[in-house]
Amino acid sequence: MASERLAFLAQMVELLTSTVSFGERLNNMVHLLARHLKVDISLYFALDKSKETLSLQISSQGPVPPHLRLDFPVGQGVVGEAADSRKIKVLHRHQPGVSAANAPLEKLHPAYHTLAAFPVADDNFLYGVLLVMDRGDRSFPGADRQAVQLAALMLAGTLRQALVQEEAKKRIAELSVLFEVGKALSSTVELDDLLERIVTTTAKVINAKGAALQIIDQGTGETRVSSQYGQIPATIPCPKILAAAPGPGPLAEPPYLQGQELNSEGRTHFYLVVPLTFKGKLQGSLCVFDKIGPTEEYQAFDPENRQLLYTMAGLIVSSLENALTYQQVETLAERNERMVQNLTALQEIAQAMLTTVQEDRLLEIILQGLTLKHGLGFDRALVLMVDEAAQTLLGAKGARSLNNTGKATLTQALLLPLGSEIPMVDWQIPLGPDQGPPALAALQMRPYHVHQSQKEPGVSYPWQEKFAAPEFFVVPLIVKDRATGVIVVDNQASGRPLAEEPLHALQMLATQAALVLENAHLYSTIEANNRELMLIRERMLESDRLTALSSLASGMAHEIRNPLVSIGGFARRISKLVEKNSPLRGYVEVIQEEVARLEKLLKEILDFTGENLSYFGDHDLDHLIDDTLLLVQRDLAANNIQVAKELAPLPRIHCDDRQIKQVFYNLFQNARQAMIHGGTLTIRTYSQEREDGVYAAAAISDTGGGIPLEVLHNIFNPFFSTKDYGTGLGLSIAQRIVSRHYGQIEVKNELGKGVTFIVSLPIAKYCLVKDTGQGTALASTFKAPTGGWR
Amino acid sequence: MKKILVADDEMSIRLLYSEELKEEGYEVYQATNGREALEIVDKIPLDLVILDIKMPEMDGIEALRQIKEKRPDLPVLLSTAYGEYRQDFATWASDEYLVKSSDLEDLKSTVKRYLKD
Repeated sequence: MASERLAFLAQMVELLTSTVSFGERLNNMVHLLARHLKVDISLYFALDKSKETLSLQISSQGPVPPHLRLDFPVGQGVVGEAADSRKIKVLHRHQPGVSAANAPLEKLHPAYHTLAAFPVADDNFLYGVLLVMDRGDRSFPGADRQAVQLAALMLAGTLRQALVQEEAKKRIAELSVLFEVGKALSSTVELDDLLERIVTTTAKVINAKGAALQIIDQGTGETRVSSQYGQIPATIPCPKILAAAPGPGPLAEPPYLQGQELNSEGRTHFYLVVPLTFKGKLQGSLCVFDKIGPTEEYQAFDPENRQLLYTMAGLIVSSLENALTYQQVETLAERNERMVQNLTALQEIAQAMLTTVQEDRLLEIILQGLTLKHGLGFDRALVLMVDEAAQTLLGAKGARSLNNTGKATLTQALLLPLGSEIPMVDWQIPLGPDQGPPALAALQMRPYHVHQSQKEPGVSYPWQEKFAAPEFFVVPLIVKDRATGVIVVDNQASGRPLAEEPLHALQMLATQAALVLENAHLYSTIEANNRELMLIRERMLESDRLTALSSLASGMAHEIRNPLVSIGGFARRISKLVEKNSPLRGYVEVIQEEVARLEKLLKEILDFTGENLSYFGDHDLDHLIDDTLLLVQRDLAANNIQVAKELAPLPRIHCDDRQIKQVFYNLFQNARQAMIHGGTLTIRTYSQEREDGVYAAAAISDTGGGIPLEVLHNIFNPFFSTKDYGTGLGLSIAQRIVSRHYGQIEVKNELGKGVTFIVSLPIAKYCLVKDTGQGTALASTFKAPTGGWR
Repeated sequence: MKKILVADDEMSIRLLYSEELKEEGYEVYQATNGREALEIVDKIPLDLVILDIKMPEMDGIEALRQIKEKRPDLPVLLSTAYGEYRQDFATWASDEYLVKSSDLEDLKSTVKRYLKD
């Protein structure tokens, strides 16, 4: 028998040191034990990691089906007792309590009689228990027991070795995982990518079915899944609960949440959650679900898994911190880039605005700049201008952004006609504080950023029928502390929010746009005024020409009058000498009658004064002078003549403005002709009180050296003319006009210096009875000033 | 017999006026321009002058001014083809402003008015 035991031990040594897998070795050993002891069944129960339960792992009868799996808590049953005492236990069924305590074993061997349990332990640890069952009443002699004990000791050694090996393998795997993650961390992969890798690696190392990384949005407090791997249940334990849950372990261990849930199919799911904490705040959690055991069964997570999860969480936190810093830097850089882009766009728009002074073109350029993708990129932009007189904002122009801007650069595209114009003709917003943001922006001269959510309930404005947007921005156009209009922009079409940078750029653009639009407006006003002046000048010249023509015609008529007088006069003389019944008498009478007819005709033509065609009204003398100056200023400048004005505010005079302008025109032209080589034309206005009323007076002085005394008395003589001093006709016409207005022209001559002509005209309110509405309005009550005719 | 000077550059006018005025019983002198008129004023104690305005060498306005300087008492009538300057004649200080006409009744009655005593 001793040789048998020796063979058993030799076989056992051979088995345990063989190169097959550990499981195989254990299996073979259990079979060998059964054969050697000649028992019905030999079993191995393994102590689990918690060291509380012994689970059936191997049977000499082959693989253990699930329904035959058995667990014994330490201290219960023969297996538990052997584990607890670390001593061999041999029991028989008939002994008291044996059958009850070991009832589960009946599943394996209903007819057992003898049970023998051998603890598998070394000096330090218990690894499991070997159990043999037999139907016979066996006692196992001491030598057998010793041999089995020896084998169990060897088994413990092997198990220990295997455990150490397994541990080492795990450590190596973990290290290689950490190495891989470390590599990923130091590489330039994107944060999302990196987090994905960490999560995936974590799941794979733990052999979990799923893993998820949840991040808490610090703004809203809501939790979102940032990265995930495999299958995760629909409801993941909320990280907030995690923060509140006290860590179950000693203080040294960070908090975690571990548990299991039954799903609808009755299957148990395990989960393990650790927190992500950085900057002293809970920022999220890392969770794993359903560890898959060697037999495809879900298992609970062990402390090692927890340790790994903590390590991974630490990695995630540090990479998140890094990424956050990097992202902040990148955001800043992006913002700078956008600013530079906007500034470049602004600069190009400003350049483009310099290409025109036409208001309409400017509006198009501004709108292009606002709506072009590579400009400020708004979806829609409107310009409204203030009508000061009507206190209303009037639509000027609007445009929509076009997706298709072609290949044109911004500079080129700015000058293109608008692709999609918004009709604005019917836009009229009264400038009132109750008319909504566009009117308010103009009134208060500040921008308005409007969100639909801010809108007061129940308030709506008529313009909103044409312009509905959940968010829009209004910026005023300000020139010299005065709002000249507003620009309205929105991104309604694309639904993008209005970003800060383009709005900032818009405000800068508005300042410039306001200036150029104002300039264009002034320019167009000046242009219109210039056109009007040209027209007036032309009309004046025309009337000058007409005057010349009529003086030519009258000259000819006068030449006819003299011979007519002679013919008619002598005919009368003849008729006196002719016999009453002479046939000659009839002839002479014909001559007389014909002459009389011609003379009547001449009288009608020549003595016609044209007064009935004049247009009288109340006018400001200073304005009339200014208006007339404009007509001659080019001529004056050409002769290097300076103009000095001292115009006093005067009451209005009742006059035909065109005729009075003609007076000053003639006086100015005379002065100019007197100062061919340059000089100063001084114009002074003042009021004069006289016995017969108040007069408005204008003194026109030149520095032309004065009028020679011998011709002075002749200057108003229409037939007097000197090459040196203008045309007599001009002054005589002036005098006739002034006297028709019941005014006077005086001459002050300073030889060697110059001449001053003083035109004085009666002021309307002293001389006028209200206009009857037609033709000349001078009242019959008017008293002609002295110097009129006798 | 009252002495009248007729100054006109038109011979036919001078002839017509002379004939008519002589018939009225006046002594008539003639001048063809302002300068000649002034010479006659200097030589002859005239009672009345009829001046045309537009004349060569010296026109009627200048002649009128100088005559009035020499003999402020002497009546001077302006007889002209230019009716439209009637308003301005006050400035020129003539006594009457007559527009020439083939009907000399107006002229003759005015002369008679000035020379009635």
